[in-house]
Amino acid sequence: MSSTRIVIAAFNEAAVIGRVVALLRAAGWSVVVIDDGSRDATGPQAEAAGATVLRHPVNLGQGAALRTAFAFVLSRTDAEFIVTYDADGQHTPEQVLPMLEPLRDGSAEVTLGSRFLQEADAAGIPASRRLLLRAATALARRTTGLALTDTHNGLRGFTRSALQRMVLQQDRMAHASEIQHEIARLRLRYVEVPVRVSYTEYSLAKGQRFLSAVSVLWDLVIAKLR
Amino acid sequence: MRGSQIVLLSLMVLYALYIVRLRSTLSDRLIYLGLAVVGAVLVLRPDWTNDLAARLSIGRGADLMFYLFVVFSLFHFAATAATIRRMQRDLGDLARALALLTPGAAAPPARASGAASPRTP
Repeated sequence: MSSTRIVIAAFNEAAVIGRVVALLRAAGWSVVVIDDGSRDATGPQAEAAGATVLRHPVNLGQGAALRTAFAFVLSRTDAEFIVTYDADGQHTPEQVLPMLEPLRDGSAEVTLGSRFLQEADAAGIPASRRLLLRAATALARRTTGLALTDTHNGLRGFTRSALQRMVLQQDRMAHASEIQHEIARLRLRYVEVPVRVSYTEYSLAKGQRFLSAVSVLWDLVIAKLR
Repeated sequence: MRGSQIVLLSLMVLYALYIVRLRSTLSDRLIYLGLAVVGAVLVLRPDWTNDLAARLSIGRGADLMFYLFVVFSLFHFAATAATIRRMQRDLGDLARALALLTPGAAAPPARASGAASPRTP
């Protein structure tokens, strides 16, 4: 398990991050948390639960926080595999191993969690959010050519070499689209892995809304400016 | 299609090409300077705006100035948005460097096995 790092971008998640990290640590995983300029005790809670914690002095966005995590893992550890994991308790430690298996056996360089590969996994998703996710997925399929079913799932796995080759610039939620574009550009071998997300009142309040999609589109357009 | 429509549509196409492919800080500054010179000339010779407007079938010189102002505003928006994006990128790089100095990040360096981090152009 020392060949794997679980990386978590966290912003104002003091209510849940301790438990999230503790569960992962209990399962034997090494955890890196990027405290993205939180104004609560996210960093100390994560540290107390056993994570390596890095802190941004200001909030930059999930994409920026994950890039910091990647930079740390690639430059300061010899981890062969990196798994991104949500901070709000939507994922469970049991979901990590299925993300790693295709990477370890060499059949994939990137694994992407999907709530829509199995109908039962999507049962807990609110209808409005499901509609938004379907629209985002349809757009991503058109623009990347990738046959994806879930384009905004925070559970992803990368081999070290795949991550080293990716050029990532998006700081906020558009990073999810950017990762897909990089997979397409580099022709990385990828596979979707079924995941069931556990929604709580807390995580639903934190999740993306329709207006977030507007911000994502805006960021993607602005990124085209030279 | 009138001459004015052709000119304005052409300017829009050039504008899109410029902001996506061709622009640089130096070219932005040259365009700003050029526009300032044009503006000064048209202040000194306002009758030229009416002549040019008539050639382009726009109508009045004031209408031509309005269309040119729209084009200038779009150019200014693109230049400013690109500058802000560069500043955000620099801010992110700075915050990342600080984060990697956090005491918790002081792990032993990896064995030499490839590039240090995902490439950022």
